[in-house]
Amino acid sequence: MSFESFLFVLTGGVVLGALYALMAAGLAVVWTTLGIFNFSHGAFVALGAYIGWQVGNVDGFALGHVLGLSATVLGMFALGILFQQMFIRPFERKENIVAATVITTLAGATVLQNGMLLIWGPRSKQISGIGEGSLNIGPLAFSWNEVALIVLVAFILGAVGWFLSRTRTGRSMRAVSQNRQAAELMGLNVPLLYALAFGLSAAMAGVAGYFVGSVRFINPTMGADPLMKALIVVIFGGIARFTSPIYAALIVGLVESFTTFYLGLYWAPAVLFAMMMIVLTIKPAGLFGTHQRTL
Amino acid sequence: MSAPLLEVRGLSGGYDPIQIFSQIDLTLSAGESIGFFGPNGHGKSTLMKTISGVLAPWTGEIVLEGQRLNRAGERGSRRWRNFNYDVVTRRRMDPKKVARAGLIHVPEGSLLFPEMTVAETMDVAPVAAAGRGKSADRLAQVHDLFPRLRERLDSKIRYLSGGERQMVAIACGLLGDPKLMILDEPTLGLSPKLRIELCQAIASIKAAGVPLILIDQDVNFLTELIDRLYLFDHGRISGVLEKADIPSHEKLMAMLFGEPAA
Repeated sequence: MSFESFLFVLTGGVVLGALYALMAAGLAVVWTTLGIFNFSHGAFVALGAYIGWQVGNVDGFALGHVLGLSATVLGMFALGILFQQMFIRPFERKENIVAATVITTLAGATVLQNGMLLIWGPRSKQISGIGEGSLNIGPLAFSWNEVALIVLVAFILGAVGWFLSRTRTGRSMRAVSQNRQAAELMGLNVPLLYALAFGLSAAMAGVAGYFVGSVRFINPTMGADPLMKALIVVIFGGIARFTSPIYAALIVGLVESFTTFYLGLYWAPAVLFAMMMIVLTIKPAGLFGTHQRTL
Repeated sequence: MSAPLLEVRGLSGGYDPIQIFSQIDLTLSAGESIGFFGPNGHGKSTLMKTISGVLAPWTGEIVLEGQRLNRAGERGSRRWRNFNYDVVTRRRMDPKKVARAGLIHVPEGSLLFPEMTVAETMDVAPVAAAGRGKSADRLAQVHDLFPRLRERLDSKIRYLSGGERQMVAIACGLLGDPKLMILDEPTLGLSPKLRIELCQAIASIKAAGVPLILIDQDVNFLTELIDRLYLFDHGRISGVLEKADIPSHEKLMAMLFGEPAA
């Protein structure tokens, strides 16, 4: 392997890692606050891409990337809240919420996917790249699309981290995730905070979808593969704090990238799952996890 | 005559399907504090959790300053209660609404938010006082009451000792600007030194004009702070003693459980 191809694979891994980090962080926000796993996160990725394409792309309303991405964020935030109210809120206080919401979020994903098919049809679409050419940093070469992804993911994760640790609403969200009863006794509006957490998570999935949609084709099931990887990230990395899925996502992205190059595309999931199993055998709470599920 | 601060009428409840207490009546006039005393496991904490809305009451009414805190009527039939749709079968009581009405419950041994710092927790706490203001005054009061917490502001709650954690819980309760505060065994399991410190703080809270419902196993401590003592036994109020009639701890224990064998 030449040095150039090593660098090429490395940049690919970092870009993938950034994408998975955004998805995994979104999943983690819901997992830590509501205590459920959202199987419709993949459908949110696709929906985000479709909204972005519709608003921003020349074949849609042609309003450009900034408005396309803004529409994705706002639209997915609102749709996330609506989804939570329809598919999760009814079971929120039930003891079997985890089992119930596996089914309801899967059902929701099916509804969303078929809805997308109905609205946008079966033809695959693609969001045009954010810029031509590439940015060269020493021997490393990033396309402008990749640069935008990495910068935006870093900004979004930083902003969400800041929101959770510095603002009163963010702190309230963390409080609810750590002790629902104490939070209720303090007068916190738990249902509202749950809805906000879900909206935030959906918006993050939407942004991930926008970028996936600019490098791959958009179709209603395009989120399935990133969702699987994000799931690996969350389980493999564990959740001790908001930043742990980010490190785990980088590891998963790099491992996937190098495995694909050395062993071939079809080996990547096998290697990732093997890595996950080994880590979980040694450290059941995940690489960075603690026994506590918290934001 | 003004409306009583808290009125509980015919309250019963428990953990479905087991009823823990029944037909509880109590009235608390403005400025009054009361205490609960009784054996462990007889339902005092369950009663308090029901009054603050953590558990849904089965029957009865809870009224704070004339404002009813629970939904009227008895809870529905078992079939309807199990109907898996909270949007349809609405909550009979909302702890958020109770806290925001000014009834603050500091439960027994609360773990609070283990991964948050003391400062972060105390930043979230005033939400119950939303619209009733005075949060700056309350914060100053909290710092005066618990100077120890000022040194631990950046510590995560899970690194605090049991006593310090209890102090944070009470401090958070105070930041909610309570009209009435329920303290459930606030000194349970504390070292004697911390216990004294916390008892003094609770006395100061009472002196500052916050009425208390206090549960404790030490009658002498209760007697100093309350106007009336409710004896609680097997899920019922088995007696009410006015402050002047409260005997010493030993005598009360003998009264409840008989004289110890010689």
